[in-house]
Amino acid sequence: MRTPLAFLNLVHEKTRLGVAIAGVAFAVILVFMNLGFLGALSETAAAFYAQFNADLFLISPQALEITTATPFPIERIYQVAGVEGVEDVMPLYVNYIQWRNPETRENRAIFAFGINPDDPTFLLPELQSAQARNSLRRPNTVFFDRLSRPEYGPQETGTRTEADRRDVTIGGQYSLGGGFAADGTIIMSDQNFRRYFNPFPLDQISVGLIKLEEEVDADEARLAVMELLPEDVEVYTKEGIIARDRNYWINATSTGFIFGMGVAVALVVGVVIVYQILYTDISSHMKQYATLKAMGYRSGFLFYTVLQESVILAVLGFIPGFILSMILYQLTLTATSGTLPVVMTLTRFIFVFILTIFMCGISGLISVNKVIQADPAEVF
Amino acid sequence: MTDTEPGAGMNKNSSVAPIPSANGTATAVAEPVAVRIRDLNFFFGQGDLRKQVLYDINLDLPYGQIVIMTGPSGSGKTTLLTLIGALRTVREGSLSVLDQEIVGLGRSQLVDVRRNIGFIFQAHNLFDSLTASKNVEMAIELTEDWQEKRERAVEMLTQLGLSDRVDYKPKSLSGGQKQRVAIARALVNQPPLLLADEPTAALDKKSGRDVVTLMQKLAKEEGRTILMVTHDNRILDVADRIITMVDGRLETDENLAQFVSSHDPKSLDRRMFVM
Ligand SMILES: Nc1ncnc2c1ncn2[C@@H]1O[C@H](COP(=O)(O)OP(=O)(O)O)[C@@H](O)[C@H]1O
Ligand SMILES: [Mg+2]
Repeated sequence: MRTPLAFLNLVHEKTRLGVAIAGVAFAVILVFMNLGFLGALSETAAAFYAQFNADLFLISPQALEITTATPFPIERIYQVAGVEGVEDVMPLYVNYIQWRNPETRENRAIFAFGINPDDPTFLLPELQSAQARNSLRRPNTVFFDRLSRPEYGPQETGTRTEADRRDVTIGGQYSLGGGFAADGTIIMSDQNFRRYFNPFPLDQISVGLIKLEEEVDADEARLAVMELLPEDVEVYTKEGIIARDRNYWINATSTGFIFGMGVAVALVVGVVIVYQILYTDISSHMKQYATLKAMGYRSGFLFYTVLQESVILAVLGFIPGFILSMILYQLTLTATSGTLPVVMTLTRFIFVFILTIFMCGISGLISVNKVIQADPAEVF
Repeated sequence: MTDTEPGAGMNKNSSVAPIPSANGTATAVAEPVAVRIRDLNFFFGQGDLRKQVLYDINLDLPYGQIVIMTGPSGSGKTTLLTLIGALRTVREGSLSVLDQEIVGLGRSQLVDVRRNIGFIFQAHNLFDSLTASKNVEMAIELTEDWQEKRERAVEMLTQLGLSDRVDYKPKSLSGGQKQRVAIARALVNQPPLLLADEPTAALDKKSGRDVVTLMQKLAKEEGRTILMVTHDNRILDVADRIITMVDGRLETDENLAQFVSSHDPKSLDRRMFVM
């Protein structure tokens, strides 16, 4: 076996190695956290739609994402109702409303869904009972999202406050989460919705939900529905609308850019730290490297040694970086009581590992120049 | 000193036939020598900064000879050593090392030449991170001998009296011990040619003496050629031959007896400067 020169050189300088590992681990953690948040946010977008009891979604082409859905005629869902394989069609009304925190008396925009209480619009278990439907039907009564931010105030059933200066009573709770768009959500009946957003014509809907029969293929049904409807609505499968919203939040807003920047900055920091370490290491071994050249080692060997050092640093730094990231993920999950689902995925693990190798490799390639210059004629 | 032209009449081997001035043919006709230098000039720098440091060097080092090169600082000894060691490229003259003309060789071919040369520097240049044995093994690995490298390294270190220091890192070794490890590294592949530049400069009197005696012993046993630069006149007695370099020219070329008789031992160093 070849003497593991790269490894032994690194291990020999304990402090330097410690700094290098800390630097790489730091970069790894930053990358994991940024990707974790980004992943969590896009998860949230998906989780939101997962609670809709629908397979196809009709939405206006002008909508950027669900909260900016512009109304379109309710006739569109009636047109679809007759299509073969369609089990049910349901209207959904959405808008923001000012919710007053009954304790602080401060108003804050909350995202409101209006549904027909007779429709099984949501899969949320809290809305399925007849009792819940009856509560929803009561005037000026809404269901409140437990995952709303605490700034909205108490969530208990029976809490009374104001929404857009109208009295409102909390009739029950559910757990949905507002995803990117909303800090909190409420669900109310279409009749209440019309009242709060007066004048709001119920024949103009925000989203059309289509439930297909069991065995019907969503993609095929989508094509059939698109065929049928005019240009003023777009048709999406559940994955399709999730992808559309996600794309908006990550790419059209600066969210993706910001987290991408976070990753880039982390990598640059990592490259600089590892470069510093490798450069110092090479500088302090110039005479030895030059001696190796005099003995008959080729530049390629030294090149390889430095790259090996950088890969070793990548691996040694990745391990604690990964473990600490797992702990931070767990802490984030706990701190946000599950509303920010930062979870480790195998893909991300592999991706960040490769990124780390790449990062250290860049440092290696920059510093390798120095070792190539080691001149055996100068050591005499 | 007679004012002879450097190079002319300097070679101990007066039997050598007149050397043709063209390169290439020289090595073919002459008897084998470890190093053969003809009409070598060497310059540092380029253009206006070009400075000649070696002038018209002619020198033969037969196999098995221990040659000490001495001379004032800055006279070009180290430069000549690096040229013979294939560490710099020569452009003028002919330089044949171990029966191979190295003038005109590419970098990669020079590396191959170097693998047959043992180098000993003033500083030991050992890796602090490697034990004595591992430092020596780094040299053996060049020969791709993976099985016996440890054995061979230990054996070499034992010959140099370091059997109980094999697994020590340089930090735990004395200066003399470190230099002996460096010598073990230089000798372990049994190079026919050994180049040493002031190998005892960093050592105290006794370890310096020991190191040189060991080099001499190993060289004599194995028939190696040694070219050693030194200012240390306490070790001159190991030499078969002493050459002196002054201002980039070979000034004298004598055996030990001649050298001693032509130099007042008390003021040896000073005499060398005024020559
Ligand atoms: N890399 C170099 N570049 C330019 N000049 C050099 C270089 N190395 C040595 N010299 C010059 O060449 C001359 C011979 O140097 P050197 O061979 O080191 O002498 P010595 O070993 O006899 O002391 C000196 O004048 C020195 O300044
Ligand atoms: Mg010198």
